[in-house]
Amino acid sequence: MVLVLAIGDLHIPHRAPDLPAKFKSMLVPGKIQHILCTGNLCIKEVHDYLKSLSPDLHITRGEYDEDVRYPENKTLSIGQFKLGLCHGHQIVPWGDLDSLAMLQRQLDIDILVTGHTHQFKAYKHEGGVIINPGSATGAYSSMTYDVNPSFVLMDIDGLRVVVYVYELIDGEVKVDKIDFKKTATTQSAH
Amino acid sequence: MNSSPVDASASDASSMPQKRFSNLRSVRWRIDLGVLPSSPPASIDDIRRVTADTRRRYANLRRRLLIDHHSPKYGKASPDLTVDNPLSQNPGMHELLAPLVYVLHFDLDHLTQVQKLYEDFFSDEFDKISFPEGDLLSSHRIRRVKNWESGIEIENNLHKITNDHSRDELDPDTREMLLLSDSYGAEGELGVILSERFMEHDAYFMFENLMFGDQGVVSMASFFSPVAGSNSNLPPVIEASSALYYLLSIVDSSLHSHLVELEVEPQYFALRWLRVLFGREFCLDDLLVIWDELFYSSNSRYLDNDVEFNFEVLCSPRGAFIAALAVSMLLYVRSLLLATETATTCLQRLLSFPQNPDMKKLIEQAKSLQVLALESNILSSSCQTYSNKNQLTICRGYSLPSASALPKTSLNVIADRYWEEQWRVLHKDEELRKQSNGHLSSSGIMKKILTKRLSFSRTNSEPFEGNNAHALSSVRRRLFDDSSEVIEAAKDHVKSECNESPVISNNLNVGKGFPEELADQRTSNCMVEETFLSGHNALVVSTPTSPHDIGNDHENESEKSSITSNSFLGDNDEETISMEESCSQNKQDEESTNMEEPCCQNLDKQLAQVAEATSSGDVDSIPEQIAAPKDQKPFAGKFQWLWRFGRGSKEENQESKRSQNAGHIQKDGFDISQCDGTYASCGINKRIEVGDKKVMDTIRNLGQSMLEHIQVIETVFQQDKSKFDPLDNLSNNILGGKGQGTAIAALKELRKISSLLREM
Repeated sequence: MVLVLAIGDLHIPHRAPDLPAKFKSMLVPGKIQHILCTGNLCIKEVHDYLKSLSPDLHITRGEYDEDVRYPENKTLSIGQFKLGLCHGHQIVPWGDLDSLAMLQRQLDIDILVTGHTHQFKAYKHEGGVIINPGSATGAYSSMTYDVNPSFVLMDIDGLRVVVYVYELIDGEVKVDKIDFKKTATTQSAH
Repeated sequence: MNSSPVDASASDASSMPQKRFSNLRSVRWRIDLGVLPSSPPASIDDIRRVTADTRRRYANLRRRLLIDHHSPKYGKASPDLTVDNPLSQNPGMHELLAPLVYVLHFDLDHLTQVQKLYEDFFSDEFDKISFPEGDLLSSHRIRRVKNWESGIEIENNLHKITNDHSRDELDPDTREMLLLSDSYGAEGELGVILSERFMEHDAYFMFENLMFGDQGVVSMASFFSPVAGSNSNLPPVIEASSALYYLLSIVDSSLHSHLVELEVEPQYFALRWLRVLFGREFCLDDLLVIWDELFYSSNSRYLDNDVEFNFEVLCSPRGAFIAALAVSMLLYVRSLLLATETATTCLQRLLSFPQNPDMKKLIEQAKSLQVLALESNILSSSCQTYSNKNQLTICRGYSLPSASALPKTSLNVIADRYWEEQWRVLHKDEELRKQSNGHLSSSGIMKKILTKRLSFSRTNSEPFEGNNAHALSSVRRRLFDDSSEVIEAAKDHVKSECNESPVISNNLNVGKGFPEELADQRTSNCMVEETFLSGHNALVVSTPTSPHDIGNDHENESEKSSITSNSFLGDNDEETISMEESCSQNKQDEESTNMEEPCCQNLDKQLAQVAEATSSGDVDSIPEQIAAPKDQKPFAGKFQWLWRFGRGSKEENQESKRSQNAGHIQKDGFDISQCDGTYASCGINKRIEVGDKKVMDTIRNLGQSMLEHIQVIETVFQQDKSKFDPLDNLSNNILGGKGQGTAIAALKELRKISSLLREM
């Protein structure tokens, strides 16, 4: 049971002061093995905080990030899955499934995690999964002010991933779960 | 070979009766949880049969429910994700399952070890003759309860006749284990109690019985989600949390009150404790010991249905043990908790229980508390109603932090009796005070009476306006205030003792020949006074002593009599005397006129203070009224009328008895009214004195003010003495001289009284 946190678009301190307290109480160090951060943290302090949650932290650059050294895309492998990370402002139209699918094919990944729209989305698409964890602080986006804080926790277990989405609605944390199963990849034997 | 069961057990058993299968936890737990039959003579065969049954049932269940590898087992509905997600702080039910599976594993390991050790015996051969190998028994002498041994023996005889002899030489444990794992015993393989193949089945049933309580009281499932049809609207886990706080309040009320004070609700930490039965607080080995005890306590309800109880969870020994263990854990870290200042630190300490606690001590304490919990759970009817009444104050410590409001009536909590009584006592005091303050008499009548009275007395005052003590005028002006408040205060006092008014009025009217209205006024005044005088204390003296310094000696006796006849119904001789003195002082010369003013002020002040104590009236309002008559200043206050009226009446009284000049008469009037006012103030003092602490403070204040007035009077006395001497005629001088003497005496009296009061 490998826990992978997908989080992003916090926009601290410009658009939000901090994570919601209820989220912070859930995110305790030691529970999560990997963190995939889509970007727009924006400052180093947030980076340090996320680092304290888990040593294995992957960040891609959002357009407001103050650290310019984050990459645009990132791919990594966890268990049987290949994961990809990108902020998403580069993919136009923003949040468009087909364009995101293009990126997924391009990166050759099973799970693509992007952000920027500040809206939680999870698509099953062409044998893969595209996840948008939304904004963890509920910061407003370029497109809407009506944003519920949310983040995603993936539980990778062999060929199966359970996606838990945590959303803060009306002050209460609501959890939802989506199951994805990866069809056994046919690898050409060498 | 087999020693008689009872003897062996009796001699070898510890203080606690040995449990069956005590070295095979899984079996023990299965029996305790109700998976396996627990009736004492249950033979191994019976056990095996039941085991086989459960396994068959599980197999059926699984077949029905299991669709694919990942479907939820155990027939659960869609799990509540707020609890069941990986990040959830709440412990999941799986944490209850884990130790159960662990013990199954553990026992299997143990079995394999024993099997290795006694290979021959555990061989799969049937009816084979084999001889025991050497001294296998020496290292395995474990004392056991022996009531099943005979059964075992029979089993042995039935199934392993040839090995009977050899089996005898095995220690009981191994023998038992043999039978438990014997593939050829009852029910064959399915009946093998310690079986790896059926671990899942066994684990399931243990888990199920734990969760659903096996028709007992405590069902862990209810701790995770509310069970329909419970008596109260409380979620069971919340109720259990309050149960443990209740037990704590009985055992250690100071720790309990400390936690309540910090607003540490029990469920903050108890949720985690209870939901996994302390699984997160202890290391596994300790936890197994705890669960041994826990499961050993039966879960069946021991109360009849019609017996009222405090907490559902405490209705079974197991529930009581859970609460008792929680309390004993709290007591274990008691000093740490008491040292915390905030709820956060307190919870931190509670949720990080020390790593290696003294388990034996914990469990023993828990056992003793368990008995206490069981007993305290039963409510007597009187306590029930009592607790219902006081729920508001008591239940505050048990309210839910979340928005879901608890119906208080459902939570029958008898918190610490001491605190209840304290609350009750305080409440009663409050009510008494309020009663004493809040009485409103027939205000209209009172006002009328007072007005009339005061108007009468005003006429008397005019001649005296010339003799103003300028030194005191400022004081008087200071004290000037709205009269209505004073009247209100007076009314308040009057109302409380209305019944005595007739007597007083009669007394007052005797020989006075005053118009009815005045009599009424006086009545009311006297009513007021009476009220005040009806108290038990002899402390009232403060007020009357103020006019002492004014003093005319010759007036004293007549004054006394008049005063006595007038209004003293109580047993306050001291008071009488002092009042008389004061009134006598009031029969003043011109010089005393000035003295009156401070006295009036004193009276006023005291009356006002008294009023203050009872209502929020001004201090100044009363003095103003009483001081009025002497003044040239027109006082709007009605008490001044009263005062003057009183004086006038006194005059009348004294006239016949004394040979006084007109001035004296007028002064008498002053005196009387002042005395009346004095009475009033005395009465007020007394009235309030009755069992009221505030009055103590008032009295102290009165003493203080008295002292001030004494000083003022003294200065005035000095002034006036010098002033009067050249002016007065001889008689006056004589009187003045006498007055001086009395005044000095009065001053001394005043001083004494004030010191007394201050000491109070």
